[in-house]
Amino acid sequence: MQSFGLATPGNGLHDVTEQVTEAIAKVAVKEGIVVVSVPHSTAAVTLVSPWDKLGLEDVHDEICRLVPARIDFKHQHDTPQDAAGHVKAAIIGHSRSIILAGSKLMLGHSQRIYFWEFDGPRSRTVHVQVVGT
Amino acid sequence: MSGRSMSLLDHAAGLPDMIRAETMRLEGRLRRCIPTPDIYRLRQIILTGSGDSLIAGHSTAVSLRTWTGLAVQSMPAMEAARYLDTPPVRADARGILVVCISNSGEGARVIEAARRLRAIGALTLAVTASASSRLAQAAELVIDIALPQAPHGANARGHAAALIALWLLGIRIAEVRMRMTMDEADARRALIARQADPVERSLAPCAAICAQAADRWSVHCRADLLGSGPCLGSAHFAAAKLVEATGIHASPQDIEEFHHLNYFMDRPGETPAVVFTAADAAAASRTAELATTLHDLGRPTLLITDEAADTSPTQPERLHLQLPNTEEFLLPLLHLAPALMLAGAWMEKAGCTPFRSHAGPWQGAQRARLVRDSLIQPSPQQRDERAA
Repeated sequence: MQSFGLATPGNGLHDVTEQVTEAIAKVAVKEGIVVVSVPHSTAAVTLVSPWDKLGLEDVHDEICRLVPARIDFKHQHDTPQDAAGHVKAAIIGHSRSIILAGSKLMLGHSQRIYFWEFDGPRSRTVHVQVVGT
Repeated sequence: MSGRSMSLLDHAAGLPDMIRAETMRLEGRLRRCIPTPDIYRLRQIILTGSGDSLIAGHSTAVSLRTWTGLAVQSMPAMEAARYLDTPPVRADARGILVVCISNSGEGARVIEAARRLRAIGALTLAVTASASSRLAQAAELVIDIALPQAPHGANARGHAAALIALWLLGIRIAEVRMRMTMDEADARRALIARQADPVERSLAPCAAICAQAADRWSVHCRADLLGSGPCLGSAHFAAAKLVEATGIHASPQDIEEFHHLNYFMDRPGETPAVVFTAADAAAASRTAELATTLHDLGRPTLLITDEAADTSPTQPERLHLQLPNTEEFLLPLLHLAPALMLAGAWMEKAGCTPFRSHAGPWQGAQRARLVRDSLIQPSPQQRDERAA
């Protein structure tokens, strides 16, 4: 398994495609599955189109509209943002699987891998596991 | 050295272990003390108490104001008890957090403040080492700052616990209101816990310089203790310990105010001045001017700072205590040791008895009667309701 760190400047989507590609290059697997996973309860992984930065903001704005930070969450050990972050991350999911073929990630033209921060800025970690031959 | 002064030195020596052991324990106790909706309702924080507890408020109010962005002020218990709930009573008093600080929880005036301000709807929080005290019962919420193997009553470790609890409270409110990220909040909590190290490193130089100061000054019967911002809290604490230990007239004053008031005191050569500051303090430039002023007056001076000593031959009468560098908000914690050691050394040299042994004209203070047995007065509104 490969891992890399990430210092998120704030909430939103942070492109980690290059770091994932570099992690894959370190293992001798050409065909298989790449699992990108985050060991955090207030962050997630997803695939989004990178071409319009405002589109990235739309994606983040929409999850915030669905799960706004409220002060009446039952989870009060941390902050309202943290409590909302738990819900958002649970909805989006903490990992994504991507096909690896010919040592290349099978991402579409309009797909990049994004670390999705819901409780930033924070120091984060991303794990990359490659399964195959 | 007598047992009297050893007690003060023991208090200083015990500070590092207390800070290491208790900071995160206090954090655990207060983290969920105030519900999140109440934290979001806050518009104002009042820190109130008497004696060392009021000084804890003075020492931390600036930090809490900076971190939370709220209107934060420290206020004597008398003002909080008698001068806040007079008409017109504010309909939105729930937005006022009144932090009532008392180690014993038995000071009459702070109990009165808690009762009267809770009655008008303010959110009252007792910070006390006695969870069964009258104050704990009077307030809506309680943070227990009791330390293991520490008796109730005023002592330096209890004061340090109050300082730390108030800082942690400010960090928590700032974090929940998202004025501070969780990482920043955790870093600041860890910084407080790590303050044990500079306090420990400062003990030996503090003892040496404070002994010199006592040798020179113990014949005098008054002193000025000067500082600004958080360091005004240091000055208040040092003055309190000097009064308690030696019975001299020790006056805490803001550095700016000194130039307006105590500057004019007669017999300057017989009135030592202790200045609390740091190179990066917001008031540093004015403190530099103060050093010149004190020199020109011929004031015996002890400068407590993180800067190296000025070895110029024009400053032969000035004592200099260099302490480790730390963030300005933490200086009141770092300054506990020199305050205790100066009081202890002065008391030893002058042959004084702490608190005048609560004997003779001072016997009224036995068992803290003067502060515990004072009449607790209900608000005019409460009196009217009872009469009806």
